[in-house]
Amino acid sequence: MGNNILYVEDNPDNMMLVKRALEARGYFLFEAATGLEGISIAEHEEVDLILLDINLPDIEGYEVARRLRHSSKHQLAHIPIIAITANALKGDAEKALSVGCDVYMSKPINIRELWARVEAFISSPDVQS
Amino acid sequence: MVDASKIKSKFSYVLHLACTDCRREYPIRAINTFCLDCQAPLFTVYRLDDIRKEFQKEEFSKRLSRMWRWHELLPVLDPQNIVTLGEGDTPLLRLPQLGSELGLSNLFIKDESGNPTGSFKARGISAAISKARELGIQKVIIPTAGNAGGATAAYAARGGLKAHIYMPKDTPQANIEESRIVGAEVVLVDGLISEAAGMAGEKARAEGWFDLSTFKEPYRVEGKKIMGYELAEAFNWNLPDVIIYPTGGGTGLVGMWKAFEELDALGWLESSKRPRFVSVQAEGCAPVVKAFEKGASFCDFWTNAHTIASGLRVPKSFADHLILKYLYDSHGIAVAVSDEAITAAQHQLGIKEGIFLSPEGAATLAALIKLVQQNWIKPDERIVIFNTGSGLKYLQAARQG
Repeated sequence: MGNNILYVEDNPDNMMLVKRALEARGYFLFEAATGLEGISIAEHEEVDLILLDINLPDIEGYEVARRLRHSSKHQLAHIPIIAITANALKGDAEKALSVGCDVYMSKPINIRELWARVEAFISSPDVQS
Repeated sequence: MVDASKIKSKFSYVLHLACTDCRREYPIRAINTFCLDCQAPLFTVYRLDDIRKEFQKEEFSKRLSRMWRWHELLPVLDPQNIVTLGEGDTPLLRLPQLGSELGLSNLFIKDESGNPTGSFKARGISAAISKARELGIQKVIIPTAGNAGGATAAYAARGGLKAHIYMPKDTPQANIEESRIVGAEVVLVDGLISEAAGMAGEKARAEGWFDLSTFKEPYRVEGKKIMGYELAEAFNWNLPDVIIYPTGGGTGLVGMWKAFEELDALGWLESSKRPRFVSVQAEGCAPVVKAFEKGASFCDFWTNAHTIASGLRVPKSFADHLILKYLYDSHGIAVAVSDEAITAAQHQLGIKEGIFLSPEGAATLAALIKLVQQNWIKPDERIVIFNTGSGLKYLQAARQG
């Protein structure tokens, strides 16, 4: 397994924070600011884990997760997906898990927890070396 | 580094804020929330060496009672900014009849129900609203499972601040009414505190309200920590063996551990032995218990949370990492109890000792009974259970029980 992570997030501040945190651990980050862009990157690049914001400008993260799980690229049926939301709506966590996300996290994202959640699926290149 | 000479005050010996994870420092005279780098809670740091040199612990006992007698160890620099309704110095009561029934010779309850607004939330909110006033904040917002909303509304009114409260629509009626009657704007949310937090956070960002969410501002834990100082003083600076505490957001548990660390640094404790912490949650919402049993460092978000103990319906605390760390460090344990056990405990303590516990307080007794059965507790240990609020605020739940 590689160390490529796709983060689908429209908020540039969150993107920058997470990018800095994950790159510090040796991961490579693909960035997508919309759900459709995220699906496209997941289908065309070698991605090992997806961080998925739920509140996106085009389609909801739930729909992104649904499409990824039913993609013609079969690896995406099992790729780890960590859903991230500001949980502004009732039942976000339940909904995220029901559409196939593996883990649910709420904002603000504690960076130490993010590392732990990611490392549960793919080891940090820096820790390995 | 913070230049201590610039903020030296004789009223508060506060120095700066520091991230609980990366230790990055933040100035005490600026508005802060949580660490901008790692998004972990901030702790307030004091000039403990100076306090150690300049004060005897006995001096604090001679002062007029209530929480702010510990003002050197609280974050407000100017006494004029203190917003108080007489919080703190709640009774530590021995429970002889219940203790005898359970075979425990040193069983106590710290009864927080006598605080203003009827719960322990008064302590943290007094500290947070006071500091908010000192920082020039005029409007505050809070998501709450109940009692923190009532306390915020009351202290905001007392301090001349506007308050906006987001609470689940099935929050006890007392919490809704007590908030409205002192002038707060209340929004009832179709969901739990986690959903309320999301909505409050959005409004805070959009309209400039200061968010008092648990651990997303640094000062509520400072008010709560004074429970630890009071316990140390009441036990003659020899901390009890076991503290059994209901855990929603975890401010009290984290605050007391912080107090014990400060007391250790001050050299005021007779023994460095710390109490074993017991974190009590409801079976219908037990993220800390689940994480503790796995040996994890963080909690998973608890889905479909439900319990009669509304204060325990917290699917994931922002400070879960700290709660779990202190449980492990104290050689403590996390225990889940059923709503039936909570109701039974509420009746048992009422009949035996005449105290009408909140469901969250009753949960600590239910957990104690479990731990006695498991021989986790020795008969002669000094045990403190916590009643975090008055049962009078939960009459509907009591009637159903």
